[in-house]
Amino acid sequence: MSSVDNGAEKGKPENLVTRLAARLRSHVLWDSSLIFTPPMVAAVFIAFSFYRAAWISPLTFSLVVLATAGLAVLAVILRYRPLAPSVTVAAQLIDGRAQSKDRFLTLATLANAAQPATFVARLRQETSRFGERIQFGRDFPYRLKHSFYRSLAVSLAAAILFHFLIPVAASVIVPQSVQQRLRQIAAKMAQMQSLQPMAQTLQTLAAKLDDPKATPAEKQAEIEEVEKKIDEQQKKEQEKENRDLLSQAANSLNGAEQQQSSTGNQQKKDQDKGGGGIESNLPQDGKGEGKQSEGGGSNSKGEQSAQMSNDTKQGQSAQGNPKEKGNEKNQQAQGDTKSEQRDPNQPGKEQNNEKIGKNQGGSKDGAGKNQSSEEPPQGAPPAERFYKAGEGKEGIKGAGYVTVQLPEDIVADTKAEGKATKESSKSNRARPQLPVSNAPLPAHVPNAPSEKQQMPIEYRGIIR
Amino acid sequence: MEPEQFQQTFKRLEAEVQKVIVGNQEVIRKVLIAFFSGGHVLLEGVPGLGKTLLVKSLSHALGMSFKRIQFTPDLMPSDIVGTEVLTEASGRREFQFKKGPIFAHVVLADEINRATPKTQSAVLEAMEEKQVTVFGESHLLESPFIVLATQNPIELEGTYPLPEAQLDRFFFKLLVTPPAPDELREILKRTTGVETSDAAKVLSEDGGRLVDEMKQLLRQVLIAPPIEDYVVRLVHATHGNGQSGGSSGIKQYIRFGSSPRGAQAVILGAKGNALADGRVHVSYDDVEKIIFPALRHRIILNFQAEAENVNADHVIAEVMKQVKRN
Repeated sequence: MSSVDNGAEKGKPENLVTRLAARLRSHVLWDSSLIFTPPMVAAVFIAFSFYRAAWISPLTFSLVVLATAGLAVLAVILRYRPLAPSVTVAAQLIDGRAQSKDRFLTLATLANAAQPATFVARLRQETSRFGERIQFGRDFPYRLKHSFYRSLAVSLAAAILFHFLIPVAASVIVPQSVQQRLRQIAAKMAQMQSLQPMAQTLQTLAAKLDDPKATPAEKQAEIEEVEKKIDEQQKKEQEKENRDLLSQAANSLNGAEQQQSSTGNQQKKDQDKGGGGIESNLPQDGKGEGKQSEGGGSNSKGEQSAQMSNDTKQGQSAQGNPKEKGNEKNQQAQGDTKSEQRDPNQPGKEQNNEKIGKNQGGSKDGAGKNQSSEEPPQGAPPAERFYKAGEGKEGIKGAGYVTVQLPEDIVADTKAEGKATKESSKSNRARPQLPVSNAPLPAHVPNAPSEKQQMPIEYRGIIR
Repeated sequence: MEPEQFQQTFKRLEAEVQKVIVGNQEVIRKVLIAFFSGGHVLLEGVPGLGKTLLVKSLSHALGMSFKRIQFTPDLMPSDIVGTEVLTEASGRREFQFKKGPIFAHVVLADEINRATPKTQSAVLEAMEEKQVTVFGESHLLESPFIVLATQNPIELEGTYPLPEAQLDRFFFKLLVTPPAPDELREILKRTTGVETSDAAKVLSEDGGRLVDEMKQLLRQVLIAPPIEDYVVRLVHATHGNGQSGGSSGIKQYIRFGSSPRGAQAVILGAKGNALADGRVHVSYDDVEKIIFPALRHRIILNFQAEAENVNADHVIAEVMKQVKRN
């Protein structure tokens, strides 16, 4: 404390007590603020994580932030008020430091008017001498309390925990219906100037999907039409946010499409199931194939697990086998790129498509479900696994290529079925038409190696 | 009068009494504090510890009149306060009030618990009212007036313990403790040799006026409201209603807590202690030094306390632990 301060203290020792009380009050205020700030920041961060995961709307997020800030302020006030030191406490602290035998206390709390003036004057004089011993900076420094460190540690731990738990929770949370999702996306799109017509379209589609009078075929046609519009819009859009919204809409539509097809025709539904996973090709071996597919999809599983959505689950229910989930995830990105009908010889375009595919994959797993057939749709670039060793974007370096020979009766059946369904595939390009497996079939692989072997499909991943 | 003058006088009196009495400095100091506070003192201790000598020495140092009353079971109130005697003056017989030994500045009521309650009460009226009433006529006592009563804590046969109401009128109850070996050696040196020391007179002829001024000065000593509040809480806690509730602690031993006189004694005693130290304000330490002699005879313990050998000092110590400073 400066000598100027000491000079002032000499004059009026009561002022020293008042100043110390103010200083201690500010210490308590700081302590209280520092204790409650980390939890507040952590709460805002968690709320932001929820917002980012699209679990809460911007309005909710804002309200949560405001409420958290309000609670923090309230907590600071509630903690501060009982702990704010009184003049008595401050005087006792000074007395303790200066060893002045309660002189400061007496002087600070006495009603001077009712006391003998000579005694008060004498006491003030004595107290001033003791006041010279006090230096605020040295005797009453501000130190961070342990409670702050504890608060910081707990808040940090909570924030980190939520940071890692939210993606996990997102994968298990109960999803919304397709119509609801479409409406939500439409609401978001409505806020963007360029996407307002699209928002209108999505609203109309959601209403159509809700309409019990509309037949599944009508709904299907409507969905496909909207999908086309979205594709076109995506190509036009420059804004990333808009593209994201469009991707979400596309993913939701894919889910809706699958839902419609599953409710439309049981026969067709079976085919759809085949399109969704390799086990549909070999119904009796479905489980085994599903497992294999999960292994193959391990590269993207971590990313996708956080983003699995409603549509995925709907797709699963349509396919009737929850074990196919991994397979579908694995094929999601491929399905997205297929739907874009891209030319592998145009790298720029492909890059763009990859980006879109990523976005789609990042938000909606259902995107890949209908298009996850092992056979690439016409005109679309083949999935990576259809390339020979060393081919493709990132190529499977140094890998052997194995053709798995399916039992002939199954192959014959699937071929016959494939012809029958080829016609319908023109109108339903997302529907897989041929029985598939994780391994390429001879008919679609030009210059396939001559060697053939009965390879259990589960071993494909190992051979890779 | 200035505080410094008070302190000087106090120190000189203390020093003079200590010339005669070896050890028990605190007892001497508190007797003086009680004197300047206008209170009376009950000295408790086994025989031969110098209680009577202390009182005598004090009266010598003060230079004031001193009377000693040896209390016995057959002592009558009139033996203390005085009585009307028939006298003949100029051929006429009339009753004239003959003052008893209570009419002195310093009165030693030796072994006060040996007299009957009736006789005890005669002294106690004088202590409280500073006057005596004989045959319907009141006689004022001279100021300053202090009664220093002694009692023996071990000889209970044939004694009449003072009732609680009478005990309450004593400002302090001081325990006179046996001397330590060094003190005993000093006592022997002083008392068995050829030369003996007596307390010198400290106050002048108008000592009474000076004492009154000192009493007034003592009452002007400043005391902070939080310290007053502390005293109130301490005294209140002796009823077993302290901050901690006292249900499982001291409450089980207390029959009656301290009266308001106890709080008055604590405050005045603390003021006297502060002034004797040359301070014009009371500190928490003053209160804590005074609280034992001021309250120990005002707390009435029950049978359980007696059975468990818990005395009033234990209770006060516990109360001080429970009641925190502000």
